Amino acid sequence: MRIEAIGCEPLQLRRVHLENSHTLDVYRRNGGYEAIQKVLNGMSPDDVINEVKKSALRGRGGAGFPTGMKWSFVPKDSPKPKYVVCNADESEPGTFKDRYLMERDPHMLIEGMLIAAYALGSKTTYIYTRGEYKYLIDIMDVAIAEAREAGLVGNNILGTNFSCEVFTHTGAGAYICGEETALLSSLEGLRGHPRMKPPFPAVSGLYACPTVVNNVETLTAVPDIIKMGGEAYQKLGTEKSGGTKLWSVSGHVNSPGVYELPMGYDDMEKFIMEDCHGMLGGKKLKAVIPGGSSVYIMRADQIIGKDVRMDYEGLVAAGSSVGSGGFIVMDETVDIFESTKNLTEFYKHESCGWCTPCREGTDWLVKVFKRIESGGGRPEDAQLLLDLCDNIEGKSFCPLGDAAAWPIQSAIKRFPEDFRPRISTDGDTIHTDKRITGIDVD
Amino acid sequence: MSTETVKVTINGKDFQVPKGARLIDVCREKGFDIPSFCYYADLALQASCRMCLVRIEKMPKLQTSCTITCTDGMIVTTQSEEIEKAQRGMTEFLLANHPLDCPVCDRGGECELQEMTFDWGGLEERFTEKKNYYAERYLSPMVANDPQRCILCKRCTRVCDEWMGEDAIEAGGRGVNTVIGTYLGWLDCSQCGNCIEVCPTGTLLDATYRHQTRPWELAQNITTCNFCSDGCQMSLGSRGGEVMRSVARDRYVNGINGEFLCVKGRFAHPFINHEARIRTPMIRYKKGGKLIPATWDEAIRHVAERLDKVADEHGRNSIGVIGSPRLTNEALHVLHKFATELVGTENYTTTDLLTLKSFFQNLGAPLATHRDIRYAKTIIQIGGDPSELQPLTGRAIRQAVRNGGSTFILVNSVPIRLREQAKIFLHVRPGTEDAVVLALSDKSNTTRAARKTGLESDAIDATREALANSTGDVVVLFGHELSGDAQAIIAQWSQVFAAEGRRVLFHPLPFYNNSIGAHDMGMMEMPTSPAKILAAAGAEIRALYMAGSFLPEHLSANKDALSKLDFLVVQELFENETTAAADVVLPAASYAEQDGTFTNNSGLVQRVRQSIPPVHQSKPDWTIVSQLAKELGLDFGYEMSASSVFLDIAKNVPAYEGLRYPLLKDETNPVQVKHQIGVTDVSAAMETVLNAITSFPDEGEKINATPDVGTELFRLGMLTDKVPQFHLLASGNPRPETTAISPLYQITVSRESADLVHR
Amino acid sequence: MSTQIVNIQPLSQPVSLGVEPATFSPEVEAEIDAHLAKYPVMRSAILPLMFIVQRERGYLDPPGVLYLANRLKLRVTDIWEVATFYSMIHTSPVGKYHIQICRTLSCKIRGAGKITEYCSQKLGIKPGETTADGRFTLSEVECLGSCGTAPMMQINFDYHEDLTPQKIDQVLEALP
Ligand SMILES: Cc1cc2nc3c(=O)[nH]c(=O)nc-3n(C[C@H](O)[C@H](O)[C@H](O)COP(=O)(O)O)c2cc1C
Ligand code: SF4
Ligand code: FES
Repeated sequence: MRIEAIGCEPLQLRRVHLENSHTLDVYRRNGGYEAIQKVLNGMSPDDVINEVKKSALRGRGGAGFPTGMKWSFVPKDSPKPKYVVCNADESEPGTFKDRYLMERDPHMLIEGMLIAAYALGSKTTYIYTRGEYKYLIDIMDVAIAEAREAGLVGNNILGTNFSCEVFTHTGAGAYICGEETALLSSLEGLRGHPRMKPPFPAVSGLYACPTVVNNVETLTAVPDIIKMGGEAYQKLGTEKSGGTKLWSVSGHVNSPGVYELPMGYDDMEKFIMEDCHGMLGGKKLKAVIPGGSSVYIMRADQIIGKDVRMDYEGLVAAGSSVGSGGFIVMDETVDIFESTKNLTEFYKHESCGWCTPCREGTDWLVKVFKRIESGGGRPEDAQLLLDLCDNIEGKSFCPLGDAAAWPIQSAIKRFPEDFRPRISTDGDTIHTDKRITGIDVD
Repeated sequence: MSTETVKVTINGKDFQVPKGARLIDVCREKGFDIPSFCYYADLALQASCRMCLVRIEKMPKLQTSCTITCTDGMIVTTQSEEIEKAQRGMTEFLLANHPLDCPVCDRGGECELQEMTFDWGGLEERFTEKKNYYAERYLSPMVANDPQRCILCKRCTRVCDEWMGEDAIEAGGRGVNTVIGTYLGWLDCSQCGNCIEVCPTGTLLDATYRHQTRPWELAQNITTCNFCSDGCQMSLGSRGGEVMRSVARDRYVNGINGEFLCVKGRFAHPFINHEARIRTPMIRYKKGGKLIPATWDEAIRHVAERLDKVADEHGRNSIGVIGSPRLTNEALHVLHKFATELVGTENYTTTDLLTLKSFFQNLGAPLATHRDIRYAKTIIQIGGDPSELQPLTGRAIRQAVRNGGSTFILVNSVPIRLREQAKIFLHVRPGTEDAVVLALSDKSNTTRAARKTGLESDAIDATREALANSTGDVVVLFGHELSGDAQAIIAQWSQVFAAEGRRVLFHPLPFYNNSIGAHDMGMMEMPTSPAKILAAAGAEIRALYMAGSFLPEHLSANKDALSKLDFLVVQELFENETTAAADVVLPAASYAEQDGTFTNNSGLVQRVRQSIPPVHQSKPDWTIVSQLAKELGLDFGYEMSASSVFLDIAKNVPAYEGLRYPLLKDETNPVQVKHQIGVTDVSAAMETVLNAITSFPDEGEKINATPDVGTELFRLGMLTDKVPQFHLLASGNPRPETTAISPLYQITVSRESADLVHR
Repeated sequence: MSTQIVNIQPLSQPVSLGVEPATFSPEVEAEIDAHLAKYPVMRSAILPLMFIVQRERGYLDPPGVLYLANRLKLRVTDIWEVATFYSMIHTSPVGKYHIQICRTLSCKIRGAGKITEYCSQKLGIKPGETTADGRFTLSEVECLGSCGTAPMMQINFDYHEDLTPQKIDQVLEALP
């Protein structure tokens, strides 16, 4: 497992290779808690928000929503308490960056949360970590205790009148609790069902109070933004997608791991073939899912020789998206029908069951996949799968439904050869109606 | 909702609608049908079925109209190829794992999913895979459950929480494995069965009606429940002279209670056709002898002669006449006429436990309907326990607090369940409720009241302020704990707390379906009472004519009183302690077997309609009495129609003036009787109460235990005693070994002591 | 304001549960208090507390459920609805060692299938089963965030990554 910055100075990964990088001592000796210091010496909350706006930082959790803008939605005048919640539920298949950030550099997250709390006038913050990451919760608890000792968490932080608590909270095995409103339901001790938007969390979130939910990587970016200034941070990346991004690389490459790339890194092919030391066992590249399971799958020929730029705009142009940066590389041995079935089973297992299309749809999809796998495929199955996806996409209560549809839609359109032999008698015709996928993939 | 209106365009037509109105309601009101399963008015929004999708301009995807509030200039399309495809898609999804067993489903013919599917037409079954399986089971003696049929609209869990405040049934599991149920699979609640009522499919089922008939075989007949004073409207379904079920489903009824009923209203109906019903008139020719079946003519003649004799020998006042507050207004009116005009006795009364005479004598404002309670800004309840005794009132309070943000103030000696809704809970010592009434009316009594009740003065003051500063209607509820004088004082609170834009309304909490009617018909006007009459039995009182029976508490207080009577006549449904002492027993018809009216605790006169012919030889109480009158030489001239009795009521009872059955036809807007309202001087009453409470002790124990759910609801009365399921409830609703078959086949209750024998 | 203002007392619990609530050592109680102290609303502590009850009692048994309901002033149904939503909360017993093998894409294409098979043979149980001695439960679970070190398994809370049959042998041998 490799953890490396490519094409830029390590920012998020600056300390990960230092010995005892998780300790307050090492963190401080390497520029830690300077940002909060700077903030408390005379930056106003609005100054902070403006810097974040200038940085063009976009949410790293998957939705990619501009962070500064999200922060500015929080009503200043509201008499209610305000909450900052860190989304450390990291359950998107192929994504494991937050895990290493928290394991190796917990204080960076704490500092990020303190700055966010200051900017938003929050006195209480929670880190919602997926239950399976228990060892990370223990690491965070130790770090928080250290920080409290040093007067960095709790009352009158660094002797100022800014007070803020940081608490850890555990999930208990539910992907949907990564969705911000479901996360808040879960944090309130309820079943992890998403909630209606509007009202958005920024207005009415945790305990019906103004709440900002941010991904770990988003919050850990904040200290550097404050230190180097929003503009400088933005310049590391592109105009619309500022700064650097962590990519969790898995699958058939020689060096899987967490890579920090500047936004707009010029070439996905180079990234795979050189930076990740090429394909495992020299096999041929077949497909890449660049942003965690919930994005369109890409064919090798959409990547090879296409200089795919690795940022929000670049990937959309290339027919997929950044998502959570869970970069799954598949070689020629992988059967895309099987991999799609695998992901569909994931979504069925993780569907919260609240709304009809996602609950019943994913169940139905899996049943069709299983039938086809066991030799019961029919020519109209491709059409059926796409039609079911179409009835889920855009109709479900939360984006999980859409996320379940996208891999199938793109897989059938882009890898018909892996479906055709299974579902058509003459080995050739597969009935798919281009109109209904609603996506233009080739 | 604001009076401001906005313009919305639906399918090309423009409408002015109230700002913030819910789109789905608006569309439906304007005649554009929108399918839905999870949306249910006045329940928390759910937006999970995704059936109600519409297209709204400038919005990315299809929107759920149940979550959209109308804003100005909104342009909506409710019908298009895109929308129909989506809605068909959702129905197809719902049917995927739904067993297509409509032919054996109790809901077949009433199922919303079935209806939806047939309405759409042309739904080809593309789902050819194996359906997920769950076994059928019983959740309680009342509720059966077939999880496979569930579409997870969660109406059941929401009514359980929001109407009943019980949270007894919830969704467990996740994703496609989500099932509605309870921990360990046994439903421990008040068994209201409203979850069954609101279920759009055959998932939650009436266990007492399971596989009995198909709905379309039933004659559905709208009538009024004969248990508590809330007066829920219900539809009795009968076949071949037998009542099979009772529902409030809005396709049949649309009364004050919507789809709400409680355990008694919904499940106690089997008493109607119970084999223990008294079949013929019976005469006991000599004391200690047997009751011998007789013909109606014999019986009536016998009664007439004996009453004549008693009157001659001991005078008219030696004959007592007692009516049950469960009887119809018609029966009580005829009984009153019988007592006053024919017998001419002063000793007539009802067996009710709450006498409302002085309350109505001093009434200063109208009675509050349940709707008034739902939309009141401040609600104060003194004594009583609606959750157990007037469940619909309980629901109105919960919804007022939850959905209307009203302030609920509870004054009670028992921490009843409704305290969960209370903003202020004045937990008083038993029997000291009067003191609070006094202190709220007259500040100067606060410290004394605080001392007597064990409260703190500032809590009483806070309550008084809450009432005085209410931004909307104030509704005052009170139970039987209050003395007549305290009731009189309360009845004039309209003088104390009413103000500009704030009405004060009253909602008494009597026990019986026609307590108010019994008062209105004059049966509460005399100073006597069942206890006094029993005490005088054999002395001033020599004969008793009863429509209904004494309550166990009356008789236990005065054991052998009945045997001291020369002559006792009882009209009843079932034999009991009172009939055991009777010289003549006359079989009375139940509310399901006659026409008439009940007046509920909001003063609403509601129709009772005949569902089935009288069982065996029974007759409506009013018919029996008027036949007896005729025999005694006075013809009331009602022929055989209840409506003519009601006409007579309208002529003689001012509050009912001008009313006629046709005016009471429509249960959707019931008629409130016009009780006389005025300003009266209650200083005397305040004096009495003051003196009374001064003699209260200054300390004493408080009751700290919250009564279990069902303490009152499950108490076996003469009627519920006839329903086996109620015996299980009365014995703590034990969980049977297996939930696969009805607990009735696994547990028997030995009749005497309601303790359990496990088979 | 004064004590008369209602504060909700514990709700009456169903009688038919027929068990006494679980009890815990003062240390555990203190741990529970510490969790409760984090939140303005008691109910928020439900998941942390469930993990504690599970740790102390092996799984969420009826006494444990009743304890939680009383402690959090909730109904048992509320505990049940939450417990059954989350895949890490067990309302029925699990083995001393819960072997959870990731089955999701990144692990799958790096041979998770073989790993499951190997464990299955080694322990003589299929996924979802528990060994007769109650020592091992074998499960296939969704992505655990070890995609870069696939294939992997989690035994109780411990991660074991870059698995090979040999490594599995070592790990299982090493278990106390
Ligand atoms: C089904 C689903 C799962 C999600 N899982 C995660 C997750 O595991 N971690 C995360 O940070 N965001 C996740 N998100 C995105 C969150 O909803 C939310 O956008 C994000 O936490 C906001 O933080 P950000 O703006 O910093 O990205 C998920 C969204 C959906 C719809
Ligand atoms: S609440 Fe009263 S009136 Fe309504 S159903 Fe129950 S008993 Fe009958
Ligand atoms: S009625 Fe709108 S989603 Fe169910």
